[in-house]
Amino acid sequence: MNTVSLRSDVHEQIAKIAHADIVVGIPSYNNARTIGHVVRAVQAGLAKYFPTYRAVIVNSDGGSSDGTMEVVQKTSVEDFSVILLHHRIEPISKIAFPYSGIPGKGSAFRTIFEIAQKLDAKACVVVDSDIRSITPEWIELLVTPVLVGGFDYVAPLYHRHKFDGTITNSIIYPLTRALYGKRVRQPIGGDFGFSGKMAQFYLTKDVWETDVARFGIDIWMTTTAIANGFKVAQSFLGAKIHDAKDPGADLSSMLYQVVSALFDLMETYSTVWMPIRGSEPVPAFGFEYTVGLEHVNVNTARMLAMFREGLVNLREIWLDILGAGDFREVERLGELPDAEFDFPLSLWTRIICDYAIAYHRKKMPVAHLIKSLTPLYIGKTASFIRTAENMDAAGAEAEIEKLCIEFECNKDYLATNWK
Amino acid sequence: MSDFYQSGSITTLHQLGKSSLERLEAELLGFSKVSPIALALPALYSEFEGPAMPGIVQELAKVKYLNEIVLVLDKGTEKDFQRVREFMSPISAEVKIIHNDGKRILEIYETFARNGFNVGERGKGRSAWLAYGYVLARGKSDVIALHDCDIVTYSRELLARLCYPVAHPNLDYVFCKGYYSRVSNKLNGRVTRLLVTPLVRALQQIIGQNGFLTFLDSFRYALSGEFCMITDLARVNRIPWDWGLEVGSLAEVYRNYSPRRICQVDIAANYDHKHQILSADNAAKGLMKMTVDICKSIFRTLASEGVVFSDGLFKSLLVTYLRQAEDTIIKYEADAAINGLKFDRHEEAMAVEAFTRAIGMASQTFMENPMTTPLIPNWNRVISAIPDIFEMLRMAVDEDNCTTHHLGSVNVK
Amino acid sequence: MSDFLDLILEPLQEVFLKFKVFLPNLLAMLVIMVAGILLAKVIRLMLVKSLNAINFDNWSDRVGMTTLMRKGDLWSKPTAALGAVIFWLLIIVTLMIGLSALRMHAIDNLVEQFFAYLPRAFSAAVILIVGSLLAGFISRAILIAAVNSGYHYSKLLAEAVRTLLTVLILAMAMEQLQIAPGIVLAAFSIIFGGIVTALAIAFGVGGIDAAKRMIERENGAEKKDEIEHL
Repeated sequence: MNTVSLRSDVHEQIAKIAHADIVVGIPSYNNARTIGHVVRAVQAGLAKYFPTYRAVIVNSDGGSSDGTMEVVQKTSVEDFSVILLHHRIEPISKIAFPYSGIPGKGSAFRTIFEIAQKLDAKACVVVDSDIRSITPEWIELLVTPVLVGGFDYVAPLYHRHKFDGTITNSIIYPLTRALYGKRVRQPIGGDFGFSGKMAQFYLTKDVWETDVARFGIDIWMTTTAIANGFKVAQSFLGAKIHDAKDPGADLSSMLYQVVSALFDLMETYSTVWMPIRGSEPVPAFGFEYTVGLEHVNVNTARMLAMFREGLVNLREIWLDILGAGDFREVERLGELPDAEFDFPLSLWTRIICDYAIAYHRKKMPVAHLIKSLTPLYIGKTASFIRTAENMDAAGAEAEIEKLCIEFECNKDYLATNWK
Repeated sequence: MSDFYQSGSITTLHQLGKSSLERLEAELLGFSKVSPIALALPALYSEFEGPAMPGIVQELAKVKYLNEIVLVLDKGTEKDFQRVREFMSPISAEVKIIHNDGKRILEIYETFARNGFNVGERGKGRSAWLAYGYVLARGKSDVIALHDCDIVTYSRELLARLCYPVAHPNLDYVFCKGYYSRVSNKLNGRVTRLLVTPLVRALQQIIGQNGFLTFLDSFRYALSGEFCMITDLARVNRIPWDWGLEVGSLAEVYRNYSPRRICQVDIAANYDHKHQILSADNAAKGLMKMTVDICKSIFRTLASEGVVFSDGLFKSLLVTYLRQAEDTIIKYEADAAINGLKFDRHEEAMAVEAFTRAIGMASQTFMENPMTTPLIPNWNRVISAIPDIFEMLRMAVDEDNCTTHHLGSVNVK
Repeated sequence: MSDFLDLILEPLQEVFLKFKVFLPNLLAMLVIMVAGILLAKVIRLMLVKSLNAINFDNWSDRVGMTTLMRKGDLWSKPTAALGAVIFWLLIIVTLMIGLSALRMHAIDNLVEQFFAYLPRAFSAAVILIVGSLLAGFISRAILIAAVNSGYHYSKLLAEAVRTLLTVLILAMAMEQLQIAPGIVLAAFSIIFGGIVTALAIAFGVGGIDAAKRMIERENGAEKKDEIEHL
């Protein structure tokens, strides 16, 4: 196992601290506006709920230019040990921004894991630095299941707008659930708690030079925890409100990053997921409450136009991946007027399975393959928005549950074709 | 999309509007709980190396309502057999492969021969017949569908539409034949267009009203290789092992069931076989043999209905057919013109000439020996002669299918 | 009388002598041909076997070579096709070697030229194969990217790029083969330049409205969707 070379001053800091019970990692990149709030919330949480534990906050910065690190330094209360470090970022990750907006989030996490290992931490937490809705309770909710409940991995549970997180809702959650049999609702949430044992296990995996470390670290952490039989729980954190994302973030590259990471993990853990059928709930902590639904502005007509455009232009590619029967079905969808547009759940499920199989069989270059899914995904999203338009949050969630069942029903198809 | 005209004595189910495959399959899944469906696939090993089979397997892997798939593998070695098993493994329905050249199945054929059954030469007819036998032997399916393995444009919609009328519990159909137009940049399906239809109409003109001829003429594509039937029909029907397979099967259906319970269904918007390229000489020979077999099959059926064939009748037939066929060419020329398709009138006329010769040859053979029957006996008769044949067949196939490696299944939680 | 006989016999003798000198060459050629054909057959067999062993057919399905063949109405297996190409290449080489064994001046020249040309032919073939794969890859990448950004004429754009690249590759191959290099260069410049200019004019003149619309849209005429995909 090769370790990241931490700078010598960091080594000194670690040597001075020597031991910690809780390590909180905050990877950041140009988050000066929000990170102060995040750090304060973390400190308050630690002071309020874990006063007797030794805790360390690690801010791993990807080379911010807006003074993020200064903000962290200023916000730090005296009695906390705060480790500030720049993590090394590969030249390539400067260009390839991962979907969560932090370059080199993977190597940031790796340093956090390493510090946790050095300090022999019992529990670790990582939180995004752009979360506005973080409260001190988040720390409690992510740490307690580990410290007290004996869980190794705590995924977040949020209340989000019914139209938010559509990639999670229509691909990542249903597929992860059907594959590994655990109902982890937010596999790529961004805020996680995990045990020291888990951190050590992550360090044994040699993925740090791959795409996984660059963009897919969230799904990788969740999948690795589930697939290796660690005890997994989820905690209800309330609402998730980010700082506004970069509006230029391209949907198809976002899709490419998450979905390729997911498919890649399917290769790694094929022997694990093959025999699993059905799914079981994961213990959940925290108090669940509903949040209000404000109106969201979406233009489904334009989305459907994109879908139809894809149908016209990508027909050869889709026909090759989906086969004649399902391609005909997609064609039929394209001929429907907007008002009647309804993407059948079973068809969507088979499409995702077909893409996974095409990925496995290396039918075409990965970027081409997954990016060609974009118009289909847009069509599916438009259909979901149409269906859930007049539903409350529970109704929309029930719709997603139906999709998950459909994924579980198609597991046989996926397993038998994965040769 | 087609018209909605009902013609002839059987029911025609058209492709109207844009029905969803999703709905068809959901309904079929329901039907299959009551009457399980088997799919019989007569295949040559060479087809697995062609372009069609990967597509067919990709599609069949998504079909959930099939109870079993019985693939009869012809012209394949033991190694090929294993390869085919591997090839078929993505399909989740139970797949049984009958290895026609395996030692166990050869022994089964020996058994037939020992007991005085002539099951004919290898070919699609014999393969299909054996597949029915195996489905009957297992007794786990009520409906059998069958299609060729060389369809390049295969979509599982074809299978769904084919199975639907017979599997539907409230539609009382026992036999359903697939039809489709075979159009590329020109009109294909020459044997149907220029031989069967004109011949049947010429015979109608000479003999007059005849049930079988009306029945045969009702089929839009009498020679299509796709059909679906109830298993009882597989039990009582005799199948020709020669090229007369399609027409001969229809004759048997006509004999055993009322046309009211027979239907044909539009199965695919476009359909393309990709045959291995045959040498011109071979193709001509094959086509000739096929044409002669088809004609003989029609003559024989009519004779068994009591129609008297004489020298004179055959002489008139040749002339009447020629007239009918020429008229047909003119019709299709117009049809091709309005649709902007290529149409080689000379080639069509040459085909008609060849078909006329074939009819002549067929009538000669028929006059010499009207009793030559290429029909494989039906399974009922086989069972009464060899009561344990089903048991033997089942054992042979099951042994073949489980001897070596376990067929990539996964343990289900 | 004997003079006259000599007159007739002498040329015959001469021909016979020449033939006697030539005969071993002819035999050598025949031997070379037979050996060459046998060797070519063996090589083809070994090639097909080893290609099968490394699943060449599968690979060819994936990179689109099979599709390319099918488009050209070639329905044989890729391994068989490649085997046949190599086989015939070897046969031609054998023929050339065989002919050179005849030791005839004119033929020698021809053979020399042929062997001098071989490397060029080979590199041209490599350019064609790599080029067509590359052109397919690039045009598909453009197609997908254009579709995903909602561009209406994605297919047209991708096809245009593919055509341009194909022209470029063909010109490169022809240049490599030294088929009328001057004309190829000129023709290429004209065609390539022509296509680019035509496209520029077409997009420029025909696309004013579209461009205006696009700019208007960029300026926020249309509201962005507010959903978060992750």
